[in-house]
Amino acid sequence: MVEALIWLEETRFSTWMRESGPAFFSSLVFHSIGMAFVTGIHVATDLRILGVAPGVPRSLMRRYTPVLWASLVVVTVSGLLLLLAYPAKALTNPVFYFKLVAIAAALRIMRALMRGLLGDSRHDAAPAPRKARILAGVSLALWAAVITSGRFLAYTAEVMLASHLLY
Amino acid sequence: MESLLNSIGQKSGIYDFMHTSWGWPTVESLHFFGLSLLIGTIGLWDLRLLGVARAIPMTALHKLVPWGVGGYLLNVCTGFLFVVSAPNQYLYNPAVQIKFSLMAIAGLNILVFYRFAYRPVKAAVTGATAPVQARAAAAVSLACWIGVIVCGRLITYFRPPYHWCFWC
Repeated sequence: MVEALIWLEETRFSTWMRESGPAFFSSLVFHSIGMAFVTGIHVATDLRILGVAPGVPRSLMRRYTPVLWASLVVVTVSGLLLLLAYPAKALTNPVFYFKLVAIAAALRIMRALMRGLLGDSRHDAAPAPRKARILAGVSLALWAAVITSGRFLAYTAEVMLASHLLY
Repeated sequence: MESLLNSIGQKSGIYDFMHTSWGWPTVESLHFFGLSLLIGTIGLWDLRLLGVARAIPMTALHKLVPWGVGGYLLNVCTGFLFVVSAPNQYLYNPAVQIKFSLMAIAGLNILVFYRFAYRPVKAAVTGATAPVQARAAAAVSLACWIGVIVCGRLITYFRPPYHWCFWC
């Protein structure tokens, strides 16, 4: 495991991600912008399900999915680049796995809501059923957890590079 | 200015709270949540004016905007906690100076929007394209808030005295 991480962090690309400067900080910038839109669209959709802006037909919140997909591509690519810059820093930290699980759960919930409640405009007239409201609330909590664990990653890392583990 | 902010941070105990092991990242997380709320409401409103999700009635979607104002206020409060905890790292930081300028432009843009564009937006029929002055204001708003995120993320790279810019 340590050997594999050392191999990865010593590849030319990983070294360039760490040492060029702009490669790392532009990835951080894109990760922040992508995060704002991914979390933002989820939060707005959850708020709508919870009863905010009742004049907006609920199923029409799906019209933002192209923007959501584009933002998901941006966060994923920038996230992978940040991971490549310091693979051991994230992969040795339990907080990183917590973040991934929270993201997977939150995306799963949104998929269920999009296919169910938001998938059929005939549901738009009635208030959201209790189960959908609970899912929307859980979704909000999960995104808050994703943001918090992402931010704490920078403060809870025990190693920056796997090669440091050798000494 | 710096010494005033410093004494606010020190005397209020904010400095001590922020420099506990979890203080700074917790407030940062709140700051990120506030920005998500702002982009998720005001950003989606701007996108609607620019022609995304055109089927959504504009006046109905506008009801999300107060939540974005809430996110903005959360970020003013959390941002204040950062600044009074390390004033010299922010006041002379070109990323902060550009960020505050963009916030000022976004603020002026709000005034322009509600003065010149909101009435025709309210009068527009469902599914309509937003009037041109509303689209212009939406583009300025979206550009400013994205710029604010970019500058906010770059603050740490332009910390004085290890920075450069032509006016510093």
